[in-house]
Amino acid sequence: MSHLDIEQIDGVPVAHVKEDVDAASAAAIQQRLADALDPDALSLVVDLSDTRYVDSAGIDMLLRLGDRLDHRRAQLVLVIPETSQLKRLATIVGLPEAIAIRPSLADALREAKAQP
Amino acid sequence: MGARQPQTQGENEPDAAASAAASQPALGSSVSETRRSHLLSITDSALGYMSLEDMLSELLERIRDSLEVDTAAVLLLDEDRGVLVARAARGLEEEVRQGVQVPLARGFAGRVAAEARPIIIDLDHAEVVNPILRQKGIRSMLGVPVHVEDRVIGVMHIGTLVRRDFDEDDVTLLQLAADRAALAIDAARISEQRAVTAIMQRTLLPDALPEIPGMRFSAKYLPAGSGVKIGGDWYDVFQLADGQLAFVIGDVVGRGVLAASVMAEIRTALRAYTMQGHELTEVIAMLNELLVSMGRSRGATLSILKLDPQAEELEAVIAGHLPPLLIESGGRARFLEQRHGLPVGVRIGHDYEAFRYPFPTGSRLLLYTDGLIERRDESLDVGLERLAAAAEAAGPRDDSPLADGVYRALLDETPLEDDVALLAIESLSFEDPLEMTFSARPHVLGGLRNTVGRWLRAAGASEDELFDITLSTSEAAANAIEHAYGAREATFTLRCERDGQTVTIRVRDIGRWRTARPPGGGRGLEIMRSLLDDLEIDSDEEGTVVTMTKRLTRQA
Repeated sequence: MSHLDIEQIDGVPVAHVKEDVDAASAAAIQQRLADALDPDALSLVVDLSDTRYVDSAGIDMLLRLGDRLDHRRAQLVLVIPETSQLKRLATIVGLPEAIAIRPSLADALREAKAQP
Repeated sequence: MGARQPQTQGENEPDAAASAAASQPALGSSVSETRRSHLLSITDSALGYMSLEDMLSELLERIRDSLEVDTAAVLLLDEDRGVLVARAARGLEEEVRQGVQVPLARGFAGRVAAEARPIIIDLDHAEVVNPILRQKGIRSMLGVPVHVEDRVIGVMHIGTLVRRDFDEDDVTLLQLAADRAALAIDAARISEQRAVTAIMQRTLLPDALPEIPGMRFSAKYLPAGSGVKIGGDWYDVFQLADGQLAFVIGDVVGRGVLAASVMAEIRTALRAYTMQGHELTEVIAMLNELLVSMGRSRGATLSILKLDPQAEELEAVIAGHLPPLLIESGGRARFLEQRHGLPVGVRIGHDYEAFRYPFPTGSRLLLYTDGLIERRDESLDVGLERLAAAAEAAGPRDDSPLADGVYRALLDETPLEDDVALLAIESLSFEDPLEMTFSARPHVLGGLRNTVGRWLRAAGASEDELFDITLSTSEAAANAIEHAYGAREATFTLRCERDGQTVTIRVRDIGRWRTARPPGGGRGLEIMRSLLDDLEIDSDEEGTVVTMTKRLTRQA
């Protein structure tokens, strides 16, 4: 596994982010996600289970990514475990109001596949 | 065959005559005055001050005069390809210009080298490989081997356009000249090898060890012997984007430039795979596949370790290398006795296993190669025990890094039998207050978070507090970096202080606070305000100071 691995699980693209998403890395991560995403994909799961920090630049990137998918009528689903420090951060910045967040990859896949 | 021995000599005697001459340049009273002056012209010490090129040309010119011959040439042996290559010539300049190459044991020069003895030939009756000799109309030739110690490194030969019977004196004098040339060639080669070795070592070992607050790195690299041949030992230290640190120690089988080039490949591959974020077990497995697929016959033993400074945890994968030595914060030394994988480059598909160890403040780690502990007529265990004892005795000391202490204890008095590489990592207590200066570039953020996280852990912060304060500090630092955008060599400073249960962190930059567009669309400030007890931003002409305060729930 490298810092960012993208795989297909049951037809759903899943990106495992294993590095901090910050002012130094956010732009590159966004680019790699965009490059890897099939234009016809109905959803994208971004798995943040192994990510320690996401800073404001990272939050902005995730919001922009959510918007872009939204325009294409596709959905962004984040995996953030209940025990992750990122869960508190997400609540503080109101992320759950803009992006679907699920506590596990299985839940996120269910959410992604439930799309019409 | 047209080769003949000098008429006055039996089959083996020219060799004896030549080597006697070589070891005794003063040939005694039987040598005529003319001979003596010829000898002096060839052994003239002034030749030693010339460049190799000039020296060989001058020497050949003097041989041509002294021996009254038409041509004189030196060919040097290229050992890797098994051919003699024309290096300098007089009266046969085409030989050098055309880069004439004679295979060992073939042709005239090839036979002189292969048989390592003087040979005389008459070209009217000899088979000649090199067409230039025929074109020139050379009739008679004498060739002698050029040796260094017992090794033939080339051939020196002379030729005449009229038929001539070379005699014993001719052989002796030419062998003397060849020995004089050998000295110069060998000296030039050694100095060239030294230069290559020095350059490779500079390129293969890290320029400088990282400077990270609360950590100390020290290293030693000592090639055995004269330092002419580069060793196969190396070490490496590098920081990953997320602020984790990677350490490598390794040993490629063999020495010399070939071993060094394999070492360079391994070092580059390890850095690349690790920086891409692969797990250490994957990094080693990928390296193994790479080496096996490239058909590298030289295997290597190595250990690779990764330190997560914030979590104070070490991860290690060992590929056939001696176990790293961990000196716990209490002072006890223990070897990381984990399951070893095979050396890399040996068998495809081999699996490697990673093990984790706590590495709290005060812990020290020593990576080394076998030259540090192995002594002749002694079991490995004795060497390992000596190392553990030396490491326990050597520290921790403020004034002396661990690698220096261990080196002094184990090697100062002992002549090296093998190369030694030694790398030490020490986790130290932080200064109070902790003050740091960072380059105003985004890539410093990962390291900054790790250092602040480690400092907070030492200050007694809970996991939540550690996250909140570290992320806030990172936001403030990202602001400072954005302010400095475009400014060359801009820096910002960070100061961490604890007063009772209150932690105060200050980030100071030398730019203006851009009130019009706070970074993160204001989200950075929002995050900091939510996670901290207090946030103050003071901005003036000089720059901006962000002061963050949070009270910890428990004491350190």
